[in-house]
Order: sequence, then C-alpha cells, then structure tokens
Amino acid sequence: MDLLFPIKWVIELILVSFHSLFEFVGLSPESGLAWVLSIVGLVLVVRSALIPLFVKQIKSQRNMMLVQPELQKLQKKYKGKNDRDSREKFAKEQMDLYKRTGSNPLSSCLPILVQIPIFMGLFFTLNDAQARKSGVGPMNSELAIQFSEATLFGAKLSETFLTATTIQVQIMAGIMVFLMSASQFITQKQIIAKNQNPAVQNSQYMQTQKILLYVFPLIFVISGVAFPIAVITYWLTSNFWTMGQQFIVIRNMPTDGSPAYQARLERLAKKGKLPKELQEKRDAEEAAKAAAEAEEKTQREQPKGKSRAKKDNKKKKK
Amino acid sequence: MKTLWAIWLVPRNLVILFLKGYRKFISPLYGDVCRYYPSCSAYGLGQIQQRGVILGSALTISRIVRCNPWSQGGIDQVKDSDQRFVVLENGFVATKPKEG
Repeated sequence: MDLLFPIKWVIELILVSFHSLFEFVGLSPESGLAWVLSIVGLVLVVRSALIPLFVKQIKSQRNMMLVQPELQKLQKKYKGKNDRDSREKFAKEQMDLYKRTGSNPLSSCLPILVQIPIFMGLFFTLNDAQARKSGVGPMNSELAIQFSEATLFGAKLSETFLTATTIQVQIMAGIMVFLMSASQFITQKQIIAKNQNPAVQNSQYMQTQKILLYVFPLIFVISGVAFPIAVITYWLTSNFWTMGQQFIVIRNMPTDGSPAYQARLERLAKKGKLPKELQEKRDAEEAAKAAAEAEEKTQREQPKGKSRAKKDNKKKKK
Repeated sequence: MKTLWAIWLVPRNLVILFLKGYRKFISPLYGDVCRYYPSCSAYGLGQIQQRGVILGSALTISRIVRCNPWSQGGIDQVKDSDQRFVVLENGFVATKPKEG
C-alpha cells in the first residue's frame, strides 16, 4: 500500500495540524471532540480543494444551453432507432457536437478516479491510527494511541459496530448511518426533482439516478457496520458538505430549463435584479406567449359551420 | 504453438474480466461522466483486448488523464492491432480457429 505514501503523508499532516490547533485553543488533546473536529477539518480542506473542479464542471454544463437546439435535432434524427449501430453513431455525433462548440456537459473521468486513492489513503490513515499503528509521517505512535483511545459520548472512535464493546458505539454508528443515508437521499432527491432539464428527466441516466436513490443507503448500512466511527465521521461530514454545496448550486447556478432555474428567475425578478439579457429574454417569452394566446382567440372567433365547430369542440375536450 | 498463444492471452483475459465487472457493477453507480466516445472504460477494454495488459494499461491511463474537466473530449477510438487472435462476442480474447 505504499503507493499511497504521499497521500497518507498529506492527510496525516492536515489531521495532526488541526489537532494541534484544537489543543491550542483549549480542547483536551485526548478528547474525542478534538479528534472528531480534526476529521471535520480534514473534510473541509479536501472538499475545498475540489471546488475548482466542481465549478468548472458546472460552467461547462451551463454552456449546454447553446447547443441544445442542435442536440435536439440530433435526438430527433435518431429517435426510435435503438439498434447498436445507430446508438453508436448518435454518441459519436453528439461528442463531435460538444467538441465543435466547446460545451461538453460531462464531468470527465479523472476527478472520480483521483478520489479513489484519496479515499483509500484516508481510510488506511484513520484505520492505522485507530489500530494504534503510527502513520507514515506526522502521525507518530503517541498520537495514534491517543486517537485510538479517544471517545465521544462514550463511544470509542476506533471501534466499529461489529466489534463494539459498548452499546454506545452501536448507537453512535446507527445514528451516523441513518444521517448519512438521509443526507445522501436529500441530495439526490434535490437534484432529481429540481435541477434537471425536462429533456433529460426521463432519460436512461435519470432512471439510473432513481435506482441509486435506494442503493446508496444500502451501501452505507453495509459499510457503516464495518468501518470505525472515525472513518464514518469523515464520510458523514463529507456528505453534509455535498448536500450544502448542492443546495447552493441549485439556488444560485441551476441547470437551464429546470424548475430550480425558473424559481431563480422569479426570485431575481421580484428583487428587480434580473440581468438585462435575461430580463429581455423573459419579456420576449412572455410577449410570445401572449401573442400566441391572442392568435388562438382570434382563430376561435372566426366564423365556423355548425359541424366543424362541433368537431373542434370534441378535439378540445380531448 | 496454439497452447503457447492461449497462455500468452491469460493475463489480458483476467484484466478483461475485471473491466467487464467494473463496467457492469461499478460504472453505473455514477452514470455517464466520460467526455469521450467511447467512454474511458470501453476504451480501456478495447486497448487491453487489442494490445494486452502492459501497453493497453499505459494507453488507458493516458486516456483517463486526458479525460479531465479542461479537455474538450471528442471521439477517440481504439485502433485494431494486427491480431493473431480473435475478440469473442463476450469480450474475451481467444486464439484464432484454424482456417479452411
């Protein structure tokens, strides 16, 4: 596992630095609280470092609006053609379109795969410290032992649900798994319900997302009973961060055309802070709607023969 | 000779098995993310099939590094190698059946 050496070293440095900081401000270094807060600090650092990636991803997603008309043309062209060949052709043309317009909405693979070694490094660092093993750098054996002995609300941070010697650990793990599942569920639900363009609402991707809504809590329960409280603490805090981040994104940079996007426009319009081009667009849309309604009205008022009027009425009822 | 070839293909078939498992069970967890066509895992599978574990892995890693938020993505397909074996329908690689 020494491929992870640099990652572990950095993680230990962050963890130990936060721990000294909390000791400095007056928390007892042996207390579970100091260690739990150090883990929270670690989450803040790791997740803040990932913000630029996240922002970049959202920005390219917003570029999507520009290609939407062309993309819809493409979708129409391949509508109903589900054989392998056409699907392949569709994917190719779609990629080509993204490339030409510089608006690839997909988040790319590297960030996900980069997170795997980080999470593994973290797991081993926390796990080793919990097992009283000194780390590769700043986490010396004295600190590791202190960490493994620390308790919060009577629950030892180094114990897992399965190996617990006290009921407190099991209660704690149970609560944390519940909170983890709940925050994941809320995050996913928010994305699905508020931040999707209607066009993707029924796509294969969304179907997968809906299944995941129920798969993730299951994963949490399984891992939640096997991982030490300290590792679950990291995961839980990270989940809370994701939830907050998602909330801010949905509020301030929603996907175009999604319900959240409409809500944001309404909010801005109320405050009179709608950017000029958006205001114009909105006005134009409303004018177009009004015009369309007016046209319908005038059409309705056109004289009709009896039978035709009947037919039309029937159609309307449908 | 044929047995030698079959042994030669064992490592790549093991990696193919792993990649197939990944594509079936892990990849769906986070949906479509790849900015390229074919996706990184499909590309990796293809390269391993065509070029084996060492060269294929190197090419796949380079592809994953290219698949970052600052790249524009696009089409990047696996080229066939001059193969002395066949890629079966299930994705595994086997020696060529005797011709004629």
